[in-house]
Amino acid sequence: MIFTSETIEQLIEEFASLPSIGRKTAQRLAMHVLKMPREEVVKFSKTLIDVKDKVRYCTVCFNITESDPCSICASQKRNRKIICVVEEPNDVIAVEKTHEFNGLYHVLGGALSPLDGIGPEDLKVRELLTRLSDDVQEIILALNPNVEGETTTLYLAKLLKPLSVKVTRIARGLPIGSDLEFADEATLTRALEGRVAL
Amino acid sequence: MKISNAHLRSFRNHNETAFEFGTRVNVLLGENGQGKTNALEALSFLCLTKSFYASADATVMQQHGTFFEIKSVLLSDKGKEFHVRVTYDDEKKTKKFTINGADVEKFSSVIGMFPVVILSPENSSITFGSPADRRKFVDLVISQSSKSYVENAMEYRRIVRQRNMILSEAKGKDCSSEIAPWNEMLITYGSRIIGKRNQFLSEFAPYIAQTYLDIVDERETPKIEYAPSISIKPDSSLEEIAAAMEQKLAKKKNDELRFQTTLVGPHRDEIIFSLNGMSLKHFASQGQHKTFLVALKVAEFFFLKERCNETPIFLLDDVFSELDEYRSRKLLSLAESLGQIFITTTSEKIFGGAEWNNERRKFFIKSGEVAQEPVTA
Repeated sequence: MIFTSETIEQLIEEFASLPSIGRKTAQRLAMHVLKMPREEVVKFSKTLIDVKDKVRYCTVCFNITESDPCSICASQKRNRKIICVVEEPNDVIAVEKTHEFNGLYHVLGGALSPLDGIGPEDLKVRELLTRLSDDVQEIILALNPNVEGETTTLYLAKLLKPLSVKVTRIARGLPIGSDLEFADEATLTRALEGRVAL
Repeated sequence: MKISNAHLRSFRNHNETAFEFGTRVNVLLGENGQGKTNALEALSFLCLTKSFYASADATVMQQHGTFFEIKSVLLSDKGKEFHVRVTYDDEKKTKKFTINGADVEKFSSVIGMFPVVILSPENSSITFGSPADRRKFVDLVISQSSKSYVENAMEYRRIVRQRNMILSEAKGKDCSSEIAPWNEMLITYGSRIIGKRNQFLSEFAPYIAQTYLDIVDERETPKIEYAPSISIKPDSSLEEIAAAMEQKLAKKKNDELRFQTTLVGPHRDEIIFSLNGMSLKHFASQGQHKTFLVALKVAEFFFLKERCNETPIFLLDDVFSELDEYRSRKLLSLAESLGQIFITTTSEKIFGGAEWNNERRKFFIKSGEVAQEPVTA
């Protein structure tokens, strides 16, 4: 123990247990908390507890929400004929930021990865199938462009295609605003494979 | 490519060692266990972002150390300078690679930038050892000349591991629906590797034939044959390879369930070396093995030189101890004609009478330090 206070040491341990926070950062955060006014610390800790108490998964799309169904699923302004399938709630935020998609979402809760013990039954796949009955015309698969995401895309495509619904996947290609010459070869290769006719 | 200088800190037994290299020949002299090979290893780190010996980064740290650092200035054939720095921090388990001050995000993007050919005693496994050793050789050459190959190969490895997991969890029971998307991935990524290896081996053939003519007196005809787990032709298209893989997967389905592992794909490839139609592995003498290996490496040098548009750096680790004097001299004069070379050796004898200047330098290495004067007269 470096510090004279057990409580401080405990707090550093707690911070350090969070993802992407190392021991040094944890120490800095703990010292900062020590200097914060009491009411701010109370507010902060209350928010932490509120997150656990109030935030749930939407029973329709499995995005995180405080009201069930979530505001997107409940909205009458959204196009209910298109569902965009993503891996995690973070991906919903990413797509929403574009303001270009007006359909609904479905959060799988991950991707197929036998090494991590994740099979189809661990993802919200059955729940996706039950949603198809409501007049859905297109399913957009927007999964991560890695081995697991691609495999999950293939799996879902096979499952969905016989169900007379249009299945699409987002394109893989070059980031906007970058130069062709600086693109890494793997990305450029995929972009060439996915070229479109003009 | 030329390495102008290198600065090693806490790397293996080098506490702090600085080299100013000669532009053509660099001889690292010293007794066993003094740190000659460690210096070569550091140079390979710059070019490949990892060691050619150790699999884990931490093992090349100085004993009881917590980090290591290699700094170096490399000069391209066209005269462009690259300031390269590799650091490893054992506490954070992070490796950092910077080129001209900019962080490299994908280490795989460095491979092939500074082409390197390494000839070391461990390489004898290429001709003597298992198919995996030969695949590793082929992969390293292709990787340095094609970046998409590196990434595809890494992803393929992951697909095989994922697929093996399903097969082992199935415990012999049918798992068709679960494994179906992984089959598709295995075929897509695997066929790319097989296609690339197939293409490489046919392109590499004239290089090895030419090198043999250059270095071997007797008329021996070398051959490298690709023997993947599926039957393909030298000009098979990706689609044909994929179709062959799909067929073989269907055929091996029960075997895969029984052995609980992936039996079809480039990770089962064999590459057969032969001399005058006789399998090298089964019929060649020790001398023929060594000559074949040298020829492979020199052919690799010329292949990379053409593909990368850059003269590779040639690292020769303790190669003379296994060759007779005649062959040693021959290899030396050949190597000296290639580009910048780095040689470790215990005996200076073979360089007897050579002049040492800006082009040719020798370094006496003792206990991880460079001594200017010969340690033993």
